[in-house]
Order: sequence, then C-alpha cells, then structure tokens
Amino acid sequence: MGSQGSAVAVPRGRLAVAPQPRPPAVLRRVTAPMRQTPGRLTAILAAVVVLGLIAGVVALVGVRQRADLVRGVTARSGELAVAAQSLYRALSDADATAASAFLSNGLEPPALRDRYQRDLADAAAALTIVSAAAADDGRGATAIARITARLPVYSGLVETARTYNRQGMPLGVAYLQEASGLMRTELLPAAQELYAVASGELDDARDRAAGFPWVAVLLAVLTLAGLVLVQIHLTRRTNRLLNVGLLVATGATVLLVAWLTVSAVVAAGSLGASRDDGSAQVNLLAEARIAGLQARADEALTLVARGNGAAFEENFGVVMQRLAGTDGSGGLLAQARAAASDETTRQAVDTAIARSKEWAAAHRNVRILDDSGEYAKAVAATVGTGDRTTAAIFNQLDEALAKAITHNGGRFEREAESAGRALTGTDIGIVGLTLLLVIGAAVGMQRRIVEYR
Amino acid sequence: MRNRYRPGRLLAGTIATMLALGLAGCGTGEPSLPDNAAQADPPRPVGMQDPAVIPTGPAAASGSCNPRASLRPSGALPPPGQMPSGTAMARIAQRGRLVVGVDQNSYNFGFRDPLTGQLTGFDIDIARQVARGIFGDPGRIQFRAISSADRIKVVQDGTVDMVVRTMTMNCERWEQVSFSTEYFTAGQRILVTRGSAAKTIQDLHGKKVCAAAGSTSIRKIAEEGTVPVSVVNWTDCLVLLQQNQVVAVSTDDSILAGLAAQDPNTVVVGPRFSDEPYGVAISKESPELVRFVNGVLAKIRSDGTWGRLYGRWLTSLGPAPSPPVARYRD
Repeated sequence: MGSQGSAVAVPRGRLAVAPQPRPPAVLRRVTAPMRQTPGRLTAILAAVVVLGLIAGVVALVGVRQRADLVRGVTARSGELAVAAQSLYRALSDADATAASAFLSNGLEPPALRDRYQRDLADAAAALTIVSAAAADDGRGATAIARITARLPVYSGLVETARTYNRQGMPLGVAYLQEASGLMRTELLPAAQELYAVASGELDDARDRAAGFPWVAVLLAVLTLAGLVLVQIHLTRRTNRLLNVGLLVATGATVLLVAWLTVSAVVAAGSLGASRDDGSAQVNLLAEARIAGLQARADEALTLVARGNGAAFEENFGVVMQRLAGTDGSGGLLAQARAAASDETTRQAVDTAIARSKEWAAAHRNVRILDDSGEYAKAVAATVGTGDRTTAAIFNQLDEALAKAITHNGGRFEREAESAGRALTGTDIGIVGLTLLLVIGAAVGMQRRIVEYR
Repeated sequence: MRNRYRPGRLLAGTIATMLALGLAGCGTGEPSLPDNAAQADPPRPVGMQDPAVIPTGPAAASGSCNPRASLRPSGALPPPGQMPSGTAMARIAQRGRLVVGVDQNSYNFGFRDPLTGQLTGFDIDIARQVARGIFGDPGRIQFRAISSADRIKVVQDGTVDMVVRTMTMNCERWEQVSFSTEYFTAGQRILVTRGSAAKTIQDLHGKKVCAAAGSTSIRKIAEEGTVPVSVVNWTDCLVLLQQNQVVAVSTDDSILAGLAAQDPNTVVVGPRFSDEPYGVAISKESPELVRFVNGVLAKIRSDGTWGRLYGRWLTSLGPAPSPPVARYRD
C-alpha cells in the first residue's frame, strides 16, 4: 500500500504549518512538525479521511466492475452459452431429422421437412449470435468460420439426396451419408468447440464476478481502526465522551464494511446457485439431449444404409451407452438425475430415463425386424405412426430433456439476476457512506481543533 | 478561518475523484476482425481413403478349378408344391418361404425402390424364379439384406437358403460354398463422365479412380497404374465422380450399369479387363438344392424369361445377349 503512505504525506506537510502551540509532555519524542497535539490530531484525522476516501473509491470501482461482470454473466456469457448450445442442438437435430425423413418412401412427411428447415433456421440464427460475440474477442472464430462455410454445403448435399431419393435412386442414400458424414466430422465438432468456449467464458465471468472485494474491505477496516484510535485518544485527553462528527464517520465506515461484505457474499451465493441449479445442469441435460439426437440419427441411418449400416448401429450402441449407461440406469441421464436440485428437474429426468429404457427395447425390436428381412416393418416401427414407435419414444425423451433445459435455464437467469440485484444501489451507498465518513471526520476534526484554539 | 472551508473542499474533491474513478474503465479495446482463410475443399464420403489402402492378401487363385462348372440338374424339375421328401426344397416348402440373402443397395441388381419400398432388381427376380419353382408363387420369399463381407458366412451357418448378390464364382469361394451355374457374366470396365477422353483403363494412368474398399476391383486398378481411391459403397464412387473428385469408377460392368442408370451424364466405356461369372451361392450341405436351382436356371434360359429379365433391368449394358451357357461338373 505504497499509495497510502504518499497520500498521507501531502496533508501532513500542509497541516503542520498551522501551529497552535500547546506542548503535551507525552509527545516530546515525536518528530518536530508533530510535536503539538492539534497538529498531530489534524494529521492523523487527515490520514484517516484520505484512507476512507481511498477505501470508498476502491470499493466503488470494484463494485461497478463486479456489477458489469454480473450483467455480463446474464446478458452476454449466459446468452452466448444458450446460443452455442442451440447451434449444437439444431445441427444434431437436422442430422437426425434428415435421416428419419429419408426412411419414408420418397415422399418425406411434411412435419419432418418443417422440423429440418426450422433446425437450419435455428442454427443460422444462433450462428449470428456467436459470430457477433466472437467479433469482440476472437474466441471460436475458426470454428465459426468452419460452420459458416460448411453449413450451406451440408444443406446442398441433403437437397441433392432428397432429389435422387424422390427419383427412386440409391444414389440419394450415398449423398445423405456424405451429408451426415460432413455434419459429424466437421460441423458438430466445431459446434461442440464453440459450446465449450461459451461455457468456459460463462464460468470465467462468473468466477470473476463472484470475487470478494478484499482490498476495499481491508481499507475500510483500516479506516475504522484509525477512527476508533483517534476517538479513544481524544476521550482520554479531553474527558469528553462524544464527538458527533467522528461518531457519524465511524458509523458510516461500519456500514460500508458491512454493506460491501454482505452484498459480495449474497451476489457470490446467487452466482454459485446460477451454476449449480442452472447452467451446470443445463450443460449435463444438453449433453444428454444431443447424445439422444445422435443415437436417433444413427438408428435412422442404419436403416437408410440398407444392409450396410453396421457402423451406424455400432455408433448407436456407443452413444446410447453414453446417454444411459449399459443397462439404461447410468450415463449422462444418471448424472443429470444425481445433480438435479428440484422436483421439476427430477421428474423430467426420470421421464427421460424411463423413455431411454423403452427406446432401447423398441430399438432391439427394430433391429430384429430389419435383420430378418422385414424392412418395411422395421421402418414402420422407427418412423411410423402410433405411440410405440421409436420416433414417438424418442420425441418424448427429447421433450422431457428440452423441458428440463428450459426450466434450468430459467433458474440460471433468475439466480444471475438476483446476483445483480444484490449489487444494485451498492455504488450509490458507497458514495453516500464515503461522503458521510469524510464529512463527519472533517467536521469532527475542525470542532476539536477549534476547541483547542 | 481558512479551516472552515476544508470540509467543503474535501467534499468537492471526494466527489470529483470518485466520479473520475467510477467512470474510468468504461473505455473499450479496439476490436479486430477475425482472420480466416476460406475453406473450399469438397466434402468426402464417410470412410473414403485417398489414396486407397490396397488389400495385400493373395489374389484369388485361378486355374486350379473351373469356377463355372456346377452340379447337373437331376432329371426334370419336380412340379411346384411337390418337393421330394427329405430334401432342402421340402424343408423350405414346409417352412412356407424361401430365405434369400440379397443386396439392398445395388441399383438394378438388388435395391429397394423408394417409391414402393419393395426390393427389386435382376438378382431379386432370379431369386423369385427359384421361389416360383418351389411354391409356384414368386412371392413366397423372405429377403435378408446382407453385406458383401457376410455372403459366405450366412450360407455356411444356414441363416439363409441361398445368396443371390452379384457374387463372383471363383475357386477360393468354391472351397467354402457351392455355386449354381452362371446366371450372369460380368467383367471389370470403367465408368467416366460423358465426353471424357478416357476410353480404356490405360488412359487413366496416374489419375484418380474410385472402387469399393477391399474389393478385387481396387487391386486391379492399382495394378493398372491408376491412383486408387476407396469408398465403402459403390454409390459413393458415383458421388465422387459427380463432384469431380475422381475421373473414373472401375468395377464389374453390372454395377457400373447401375451407377450409369442413375446419372445420364456418365457412361460405361472400354473393353472388359476381367471375367466375373455370377452364381447363386448355396450351402455345400445341400447339393440337391444346387441341382434344383440349376434346373430352374436352365428353364429360364430356354423359355425366354432370362432375356425378359435382362431387358427389364440391364439394357444400359446394351441389348440382351444370349444367356451364359451352363457348364456342369456332374
């Protein structure tokens, strides 16, 4: 705290030239300018005032920075993480939907076509948001460039595949597989990278916003100590119990320390809750949802590949294991269940776990049908109507996870906003209390000096 | 009384300092534009290898046998529905359907018509003729889509009664399964874009040519001095040709005809530079079924059915030739 020493030195020199000679025996040993009590008192009080002033300024700057960071958590990092997740999900969904639509002989169901187009629109909208964010700090710019360059290529391949499929040609399958390969080898990894960057930025912003204002609090405590010492000394010297100005200054300093501490602790608590009850769960749920989408795409592509789909079927097994573990009661869903911190989330995840078990059973049935040459029945059991098809079960799983994601996204926003509220008015309070502290000390100091005179 | 003004000055100073410091930190850094190079390389089919890894195993032994020679039919075909007891045909008749391993993805030989969802093609129709021979009804049949690599396994383990799947008969395979007589003669040729200067495999020296991974075709084009590019499925080769990633596709002309039929801007050119007799693969345990199938094939050769099926599916290879001559080893 070198600045503190030099700041004290200036008023000390200035105040020392207004001497009011009254030599107290105790202070003989003190340096020459400080030899007389009024001068010494003035200097100490001035130091306390300057210290309080610095404490106020540091606190104000700190609280403004933290308020900005908290605003950043909600308005920027949070939104960016949502956009990156939405991009990742939309691309995965497009992959699964394009493959499912392909299974319905030539003419794809309008609902699936709509869903595919909405996915592309969602992906494009999310891409503009993450691009705008990357324009500020350059992070993820390469991944964004890759997605921007490859998304039109992907949709071109899907449209070519549709055209050939409508003409009854197996070439359509080859184009769809190329499209899906492009999605899986380039677009999805890039989207995943963006999501990781956005999540990292959110955690980073949150950690910085939740930091405790140590310097400001320490300075305020030092100020408080100085004020208390001065008053103890004055009381001993003059036998006067109260100096209103100094008491006001002391009260203001106590309030300042309390306000800084409480607001920081409350804000940090809300930010922690925004992670534990909000974004951490959203991350897990989103990961589970995307695993579900990839399994769905694999299931459809296995059938689309018409006897050459062993690689997709193998991947289905891998992704399903990641989603639900080997026996349907592990994996990401079990993690999400364990991390769930409220009833709505628990219910939604329980639904998802139940559906994933049903899906695994229904999928085995599809594979038995397809492997025994009942292709049409296998397709009907995958994309047909009715509530026992894998399409219906998958949709329920997807909706349950979507609901849980929306719910926890809302909790994230509420907690982040409440962190912002904890800091609301703190800046005005700091200015007010610092002014009270300075005025009180100054008034008290002047009254005492006048009394000496 | 100078001191009286000190609180006022202190106040003013405090406010000024706090405002100045409070407003500081609102400045922004200079945003810089991302520096991204354009990426215009074409997308690749999953599993594409450029250059291809050429299978190193020994090439199929040739000359050690006559792969075309099969078992002679035993007299006249039994009438449909009256299979001799104790035979494989009788067991199939009792089951109520013939189980056949086929391709779902080979245009004009075995593929699923997206409009109807039904399997169709030359191989499929040959299999239906066998079902007609046993049941008198070509619909009493169950198809199982199998991959190229599984063809011998499913015959050996009895998963299917027979495999009709553009399967070349050779001595190596004769060791593991039995074959019917030849029902189609294929040979390796090249598929190029219409108007291409390349007319033969020799014209493709040093150029990229596509074939399926692990096939005999890819060995052949590597031997001919082209740059082989391998893919998982044959249709992927047509995708690469359409995207100008290869200059030609080379494999059995039967498969090339199926690719050419899907894109009128491609054409099969040049002479055959290999000989690929296709046969129906049947378990070595059931010689009576081999003889029965050969009887069915002999019938469709002579009654014009073979020519009709060829005309229905394979005219892109040119007008129907006469059916391959049956050869027997008795």
